[in-house]
Amino acid sequence: MSRSSSPVPVRPSPDQSLPDQSLPDQPPRIVSVWFPDWPVIAAGFDADMAAAVMGANRVIARTAAAAADGVVIGQRRRQAQRRCPHLTLVDRDADRDAREFEPVVRAVAELSPRLDVIEPGWISLLARGPSRYFGGDRVLTERLAEAIGALGASPAMGIGVADGRFASSVAARLAVRRGGPAIVEPGGSPQFCADLPIGWLQTLGECDAELVELLGRLGLRRLGDLAALPVADVLGRFGHPGVHAHRLASGADIRPTSTTDPSPERRLDHVLDDPAAQSSAVVFIAKQLADELAGTLGADGRVCTRLVVMLESEHGERSERSWYRSVGLSASAMVERVRWQLDAWVDLPKGSEQELTGGVVLVRLVPDEVRADDGTQLGLWGGQSEADRQAARAIARLATLTSDDAVTVPVWHGGRLPADRYRWVSATTVDLDRQARAVSAAGTGSGPTGPWPGTLPSPSPATVFVDPHPADVLDEHGVAVRVSARGVLSGHPTTFVLLTGDDATGWRRGRPRPIIAWAGPWPIEERWWEPGQQRRLARFQVVTDDHDGFLVVAEHQRWWVSARYD
Amino acid sequence: MALAVELPDGFASLAERVAPLALAGERTLPVADEFAELFPERGLVRGRTIVCSGQAATSLALALVAPAVAAGSWLAAIDVPTIGLDAASEFGIALERMVAVRTGADREAGRAGRWSDVVAAAADGFDLLITRVPTDVSPTVLRKIATRLRQRGAVMLVLDDPGALSCDGVLDADITRWVGLGDGHGHLQQRQLVVEASGRRLPGRRCRLALPG
Repeated sequence: MSRSSSPVPVRPSPDQSLPDQSLPDQPPRIVSVWFPDWPVIAAGFDADMAAAVMGANRVIARTAAAAADGVVIGQRRRQAQRRCPHLTLVDRDADRDAREFEPVVRAVAELSPRLDVIEPGWISLLARGPSRYFGGDRVLTERLAEAIGALGASPAMGIGVADGRFASSVAARLAVRRGGPAIVEPGGSPQFCADLPIGWLQTLGECDAELVELLGRLGLRRLGDLAALPVADVLGRFGHPGVHAHRLASGADIRPTSTTDPSPERRLDHVLDDPAAQSSAVVFIAKQLADELAGTLGADGRVCTRLVVMLESEHGERSERSWYRSVGLSASAMVERVRWQLDAWVDLPKGSEQELTGGVVLVRLVPDEVRADDGTQLGLWGGQSEADRQAARAIARLATLTSDDAVTVPVWHGGRLPADRYRWVSATTVDLDRQARAVSAAGTGSGPTGPWPGTLPSPSPATVFVDPHPADVLDEHGVAVRVSARGVLSGHPTTFVLLTGDDATGWRRGRPRPIIAWAGPWPIEERWWEPGQQRRLARFQVVTDDHDGFLVVAEHQRWWVSARYD
Repeated sequence: MALAVELPDGFASLAERVAPLALAGERTLPVADEFAELFPERGLVRGRTIVCSGQAATSLALALVAPAVAAGSWLAAIDVPTIGLDAASEFGIALERMVAVRTGADREAGRAGRWSDVVAAAADGFDLLITRVPTDVSPTVLRKIATRLRQRGAVMLVLDDPGALSCDGVLDADITRWVGLGDGHGHLQQRQLVVEASGRRLPGRRCRLALPG
């Protein structure tokens, strides 16, 4: 096959799969500082106290002591308490996380002012400048550890240095396990990535769970296996998400470094004639600016990935911080960051250089890094409908009336019990127009990933108890029915007793009701391979004489009502 | 000469859906055919409050709102944390247009003010609300909420006891028989319901229908 040599520059031809070809330029060297389970640290728990932070009734962070007792992220409240009865539970508070993280940000900013806060508990900074100044990556990581250690409390922390954001984030997480900084030599990111299991693409690389699972099933267990494939074949088979995964696997940056620089007129200012003393007034202005910024960028099909927020007070004090989010900052995410920054500024210790002493007079949002938005799938009839926009406004309003965590949207999770199959996540943290990908296609009932083996056949119960209600299932002698390990019942279920009440006020036995139809047991044995997390239970469907249908579960020789067909 | 065009079934229903139908008297949200005969307008009239009660109250509410949500309306479930999403999805509710709000009014006394604020705010942006009325809301507040719903054209479905709320209609669904479950075998497949409509704006009709789940 002959290839004509064209005088105009063309894209590298597909079969020249040299690594250099897929890396147009070297990704920048980045230091990531990451604190595992930051929400529990922010809530003030030490590693030896058993505690967990809950969001939407699930564990989102836990201490080392709780982890040792089998509390895992994603567990439900009651499950976590069953594993660890003396567990202290606190609710999630994103503002608290950001506020408590502020001293760390300040300490790091002393060493390198140009840093990105990705989320509370996670900072990244460009390594080149500070590393050269302090005399090498290792010295820089030592300085960082020292500066953060000087704050007093010394929570577990990981510092990773590597070329590219993805490699650096992974290195920071590995550093936590290792107990010391993880430094990947310059140019060593491709080799470093090659040995990583493919799952990291989902954890940190913004790849779909579906894609990662598929790659795993195709036998690509390590990132190196994927990187070894020609990029054109990956594009042909998996499309752009595949190319993104391939880019990460070959040790390149999360996004191509050729993100366009936004033109300066994109910068949005609001100068207040009356200094705003209330933070809500500043947040309100930030909301208008953010809506405008996200709107104009969105109209061009672009999204802001790094936002610099600048606030100035009437006495000339300034607060400037850069916020990074690799999936792009939506308007609500921008506002949230302004609020965090403002809270941190208000909490600055007395006597600091930039302490806030007056009202805020200037709010400025500068999109520092902008890239083409490739993630949004517009609706069939072109973008959002009026109903969608109205609902988005109402959601924002509802979140201010209650709290961010009180307004939730469902996200598919998967599982065999009705309560496990969807999770509720805070609506303000989700981009609602991307929501469609996360929940099931209407009417399939099996979730977006197809059938889930071991679930009960449809119809599904209309009422699902978040925490199961205790119940009793009795045989003809009035003795509680037991289910043996082999799924054999000790008697014929004839009577059903529902307990009402709650943990606080105590449980009362309801009226015993004869069972007119039942079926089961449908056993489930989950996570038997992981000690401390295994669950073994049997499901039954029961209909009582007054035609009430229940899904009951026998676990640890006790009966629970998991759902009601009402 | 006019051409008689035979549209396939799918197109006919699509044509019906995209046809402009916003006449004042017809401001309704679609319901499934089985339920249409319960409503003189053959749909949920915007601005009304309807109570769903009885043994199959939740399923009835989900089945009523499903066609409207599938057609693009948004649904807010206020203080109904137990709503079964699999069931909702099986009835045809597009879960990406569903939002749950918790006000705490169902668990603690003294939060009724927050419940009414949330309902009023949700009426601004959502076509459909499913909620339970807290016991300690004053009749004055409930009247204001009813007015707000009428102004905004949202439909509120109240599960179980509406308290002092004056509703436009009550649908009471009782299960008469379950199909599919035997004595130690089978699984629940279908139930037969008797739905009884009553109230100010619903004619006193009774209908029997079968509902999955």
